Amino acid sequence: MLGIILAGGQGTRLGKLTKTTAKPSVPFGGRYRIIDFTLSNLANSGVNTAGVITQYQPLELNRHIQNGASWGLNERGAGVTILQPYASSEGEKFFEGTAHAIYQNIAYIDSYNPQYLLILSGDHIYKMDYQAMLDYHKSKKASLTVAVMPVAKDEAKRFGIMNTDDTDRIIEFEEKPAKPKSNLASMGIYIFNWPTLKQYLTESYATDGAMEDFGHDVIPAYLTHNEASYAYAFRGYWKDVGTIQSLWEANMEFLNPNNPLNIGNRNWRIFSQNEALPPMFLTKTAKVSGSMIVDGCYVAGAIQHSILSQNVKIGEGSVIKDSMIMPNAVIGKNVTVDHAIVGENAIIGDNGKVIGKPNEISVVGYGEVLGRTEKE
Amino acid sequence: MRKGDLAAIIDLNEKDNQIQPLTAARPIGTLPFAGRYRLIDFPLSSLDHANVRSVAIFLPKSGRSVTDHIRSGSTWNMDQITGGIFTYPYMAGRDYEDPELRARYYDDYLQFLRKSSAQYTIIMGTQNVANVDVDAIVAYHQAGESPVTTAYKNLPETAMQPEDLTLDMTELGTASSVVPASENRGHLKEGKIPAFMDIYLIGTIDLIDLLVDASEAPTFKRLPQIMREAVLQNNANAFEYTGFLAKLNTIQRYYDANMSMLEDQNYQALLYSANSIETKNKNEIPTYFSTESKVTNSLLGTGDFIEGDVNHSILFRNVHIHRDALVDHSIVMQGSKVGTGSSVKYAILDKGVIIGPNLALEGTPEEPLVFSKNQKVFQPDGKGVTARA
Repeated sequence: MLGIILAGGQGTRLGKLTKTTAKPSVPFGGRYRIIDFTLSNLANSGVNTAGVITQYQPLELNRHIQNGASWGLNERGAGVTILQPYASSEGEKFFEGTAHAIYQNIAYIDSYNPQYLLILSGDHIYKMDYQAMLDYHKSKKASLTVAVMPVAKDEAKRFGIMNTDDTDRIIEFEEKPAKPKSNLASMGIYIFNWPTLKQYLTESYATDGAMEDFGHDVIPAYLTHNEASYAYAFRGYWKDVGTIQSLWEANMEFLNPNNPLNIGNRNWRIFSQNEALPPMFLTKTAKVSGSMIVDGCYVAGAIQHSILSQNVKIGEGSVIKDSMIMPNAVIGKNVTVDHAIVGENAIIGDNGKVIGKPNEISVVGYGEVLGRTEKE
Repeated sequence: MRKGDLAAIIDLNEKDNQIQPLTAARPIGTLPFAGRYRLIDFPLSSLDHANVRSVAIFLPKSGRSVTDHIRSGSTWNMDQITGGIFTYPYMAGRDYEDPELRARYYDDYLQFLRKSSAQYTIIMGTQNVANVDVDAIVAYHQAGESPVTTAYKNLPETAMQPEDLTLDMTELGTASSVVPASENRGHLKEGKIPAFMDIYLIGTIDLIDLLVDASEAPTFKRLPQIMREAVLQNNANAFEYTGFLAKLNTIQRYYDANMSMLEDQNYQALLYSANSIETKNKNEIPTYFSTESKVTNSLLGTGDFIEGDVNHSILFRNVHIHRDALVDHSIVMQGSKVGTGSSVKYAILDKGVIIGPNLALEGTPEEPLVFSKNQKVFQPDGKGVTARA
């Protein structure tokens, strides 16, 4: 089975945080970037070959992934390949949608001649065994298996909903239905039999029915043509972090030592690419409670129910509360940060205030500078 | 230096009898330091920054911790298409009365040096924790007149022990010999003694000549002695280092040097200079501080779980401090646990030590308590069983 991670989306709903970087490379949980969860799931599931499709602001993402060695995905004859749009004799190959991105990369996929293609998005926080999903796919003799997550009834109208029969076969797919008939939300994780999918895609582009998107074009076509499509129910922790609010919530949930994500489970570790930084230093004036801190941090202030990522500096007299501070941010003295996300490399000068509300999280952008810090 | 112009030799067989039991199953070179590092990270990082890509490492009796830490050497860019980390196993008993083993001793060095095709070779130890600019030593060597260069730091006489090696300085600022502090008759400046840093730099061809001569001599001489004689013969160039230096050859010095990392200027000088210290990355999860925890003036690694109080201490990764426990003026290594309601003061906990609940264990600043690797302590007298690893 070959994995493809769709990591090219802009993530416009993350506002300032994705102005200069792609959503999958947004920092999460102190030492991770969002895509680490998907890459680690691949490695832990024994899927050693994966293509990562990038398009929007790929620099940080490419630098993070490199050759996949951080996830143990750097094997001979396998490994991670970054798939970027390119120009060819037929013109430029920018990706117009999820399915179009697969179509444009047929040559890459065919070079491994896989029987099954696993399609993933790089912007969810979860732990999942894709091998178990493949076993399910095989046992159902399916052409397509879609991973689904039972969601609360009133939430269902925000998702793509799969309606199934009593054998879990998908009979109908509704994108954000006003009156959902079931609560099985698509997680954007698909296993396709590659020869069949390839045929659908090439035929659609040979005619004028170009299939650009999986949800909009491919799945409806599969259902119309009676391809055996099954729903695979996932029952672990799964969080879409596509908005500021959900990104903040997921980080706050991550702080709970009893989070069902169970980040400390050494049998399903989440790997990341990190530089070796000095241990964290908590000074005499530090006051930390209910928080997570990682290496390279220098803490002289009070940290309450917050996450500090690598190399964050917090000056004396400052209070960080219910917030997520991204790598390399520098926060001066007597600063208050409350219900906020502070972007990478941001600087908040002495006496600054960044105050949000539980339902209106304040954001300081990447490299944004607020106020001035006195030189010591 | 241009890549490949400088090769390095690190011999991990350093005198460790005064730092037992911490070196029971590891050499000084892999002693954990400052919450994250192993001592060998310091010379390897200095070599990396000087573009050194070939390093010969002579393994101690227990080489496991060394090979586990170094692996391919990729952490220090030593896994490139040319050069690499070359490890030489410890030869049983180093019985150099055996002519075959004797020949092997010199052959190991000579093979490495000839293959390296480096212009210069630097010989370094690991017991001196420092952030050394190797390029500066090479430049000093090139400007100096002697074929041999050594490095030292001026330390107060009070900081020295009689057997510590020092440089006997001439009035010209060169070193005439390497001698124990008690025998230093040299030219001292303001009551300070030039502490020898276990560093020699020499042209590779010159070093090959010295080793070939030694291999043909009737009495057996190891490399350190060969180098000391080379200093005696030539009056070595003496490079003065002025940064952070700690020699970690006794328990007391090990404890003090770790504690000194809690002073901002030391921590900054050693770990936050332009030359970063690289170490093996372990992908631990973030360290969690519960709402009851209270941590001040401490260095912590990742993967820790802190529910109690920690003050003026150094915690490595994956340490668990339970509720109502107190860790004060102590060093707690990887994977150790301190049980609910226990207090640990002025102590060194080696890796995997478990302190049971409701115990009060207290050493003194001059004599810290030492718990050896995987020791489990459930008795109020601090005695416990040492589990076999």
